[in-house]
Amino acid sequence: MPFLLGKPFNDSQLVRKCLETFYGIGPQHATRILAKFSIFPAAKMGMLPTKTINAVTAELSTMTIETDLRRAVRENISRLRDMGSYRGRRHAMGLPVRGQRTRSQILTARKLNRVERQG
Amino acid sequence: MASQSLNCWRCLARPNISPSSALQLTSLRSFSTTSIRGAPVVKPKQHPGREKGLKASPRIKNKPKEKTGKPPAPGERKAVRKRIVLSNTNAIEVAEMEDLTKEMIDSGLRRAKKPMVHGEQPLEGMVEAPVPERTEEERRMVGKVVGLQGETVDGLRAVEAFKTTQGWGLFRRPGLLLREESVKLTKDMVAAAKEKESMRLVLDGPKQTGKSMMLLQSMANAFVKGWVVINIPEAQEVCNAINDYAAIPGTAPTLWAQPTYTANWLNQIGKANAKILSRIQIKGKYNLPIVIPPKTDLARLCELGTRDPDAAWQVFQVLWSELNQEGERPLLLAMDGLNYTMRESEYRDQENKKIHSHDLAIVQFFLDHLSGSKKLANGGAIIAATSRSHSPISISMELALKQQLEKQTAQKITQRDPFERKYDERVEKALSNVPAVKLGGLSKAEARGLMEYWAESGVLRQRVDEQTVAEKWALAGNGIIGEIQRGALRMRI
Repeated sequence: MPFLLGKPFNDSQLVRKCLETFYGIGPQHATRILAKFSIFPAAKMGMLPTKTINAVTAELSTMTIETDLRRAVRENISRLRDMGSYRGRRHAMGLPVRGQRTRSQILTARKLNRVERQG
Repeated sequence: MASQSLNCWRCLARPNISPSSALQLTSLRSFSTTSIRGAPVVKPKQHPGREKGLKASPRIKNKPKEKTGKPPAPGERKAVRKRIVLSNTNAIEVAEMEDLTKEMIDSGLRRAKKPMVHGEQPLEGMVEAPVPERTEEERRMVGKVVGLQGETVDGLRAVEAFKTTQGWGLFRRPGLLLREESVKLTKDMVAAAKEKESMRLVLDGPKQTGKSMMLLQSMANAFVKGWVVINIPEAQEVCNAINDYAAIPGTAPTLWAQPTYTANWLNQIGKANAKILSRIQIKGKYNLPIVIPPKTDLARLCELGTRDPDAAWQVFQVLWSELNQEGERPLLLAMDGLNYTMRESEYRDQENKKIHSHDLAIVQFFLDHLSGSKKLANGGAIIAATSRSHSPISISMELALKQQLEKQTAQKITQRDPFERKYDERVEKALSNVPAVKLGGLSKAEARGLMEYWAESGVLRQRVDEQTVAEKWALAGNGIIGEIQRGALRMRI
């Protein structure tokens, strides 16, 4: 049962997929990490030697992902709000920030735009 | 509405409707004298099985199917997909089919001068009638199908020379059609071994023209003649990043090894050439991560390399240097799917840039020999076949092959397109001076010979005469062998 940054994964899962489950890692970052440690794209977790897994975990711990990234996003939003900017106010009101129409189609904004945004 | 029906159209007077009288008025509307309160309660029509409150939906939800039965073991589906069946007992045994032998190869794919006598043994005291020798014309085997001996078939199977798409499972025994190109190939191979030269060749041609079969012919020749055969059955497996890879330390520019692929490759080489390799012992001294006891034979060395993928590439290099010692046998290096090696691979280096195929150790090894920069010490052949169905296009490879064919036929040589940006210097350098053969359709005689073999095997249920041969030949785009097979054997309506 290999662990990446404390999260357990099955031996039969693709390494690339496992990396993308982390908040802040998508296809680009996953490819970069695989390339850095010479892991081929179709590799499964069970195929990696312990040395490589430790190296990948070390690499992940240097990146801003998961809680660090969520905190950074929230800090950015509260900074905008604190300085009284237009964008900050829109987040506080739960309305679209990027100049979209408000007559309709604002469900996503209402759901997601808030000061304590859930990443 | 009740008020509408009771308006007077002449004077437009409207009745004064009070709530208490509304009920009475509605009863005036319906075609019944019974008051609403007295009428029996009519429930809305209910569909059977549907409860009140559920939305009527046109979809019928099926219960999820229960999975019964044992799922296949890991690797089972792949084994079934890649299984090669070489014999079919429903097909008829073709008695007159001769086997590919050393004598046949040495004489340039021609039959023996003296025909074998079939039939009963002569009685005692009787003298056999003298059997006339065959004429040159009768000796020619072009257009005939030649059988493969058991040992040859074992070697070819171990080296993955047979493909699942080739239709071997239709016949009693594996057989190869001999074409004009096969004769030339065989003669060149024999001459190269004799003079200890390296014969280099690229097999090109449209799809289904028999390039992989020609490669198989060369491998069959090599096995019969006792050469050592090293084959890369699919170059795409080397270049499309489905196997693990690792940088070889100490190489600049970085060379990349493929441990698992090399280990499997060593296994195949060891199994296919077991008879020859078990008789050659290691002579030199090498510094390897695995322990090799003295007097190990090369077959055992391959086994050791298979067991330890991390050391596999170094073991292969040891094997190669031992095979190239003085006095050893000729070698055949074969590869199918050259297109995949003439571009960037799907692997990425540590800077996330794609690795060029020529930086992969296996590919570099093969192409060094194909291009002629490295020679085989004891002679032999290096043959590569291109792939034309669902394969990447490498414009540099196309140009190089075109120029080569024009050079060989003394035509004007096509130059580079000055406006094209995607040429690849490394590819052009690798293929700059490699002889090429462009395979086309069969001749009518060859097609006839093949169809006669099919008819004798009981697989083709037609009379084989001028008309049917010409018909199949023409429908197959003037004799493209794969299309003849598709039309005659597979599409049986």
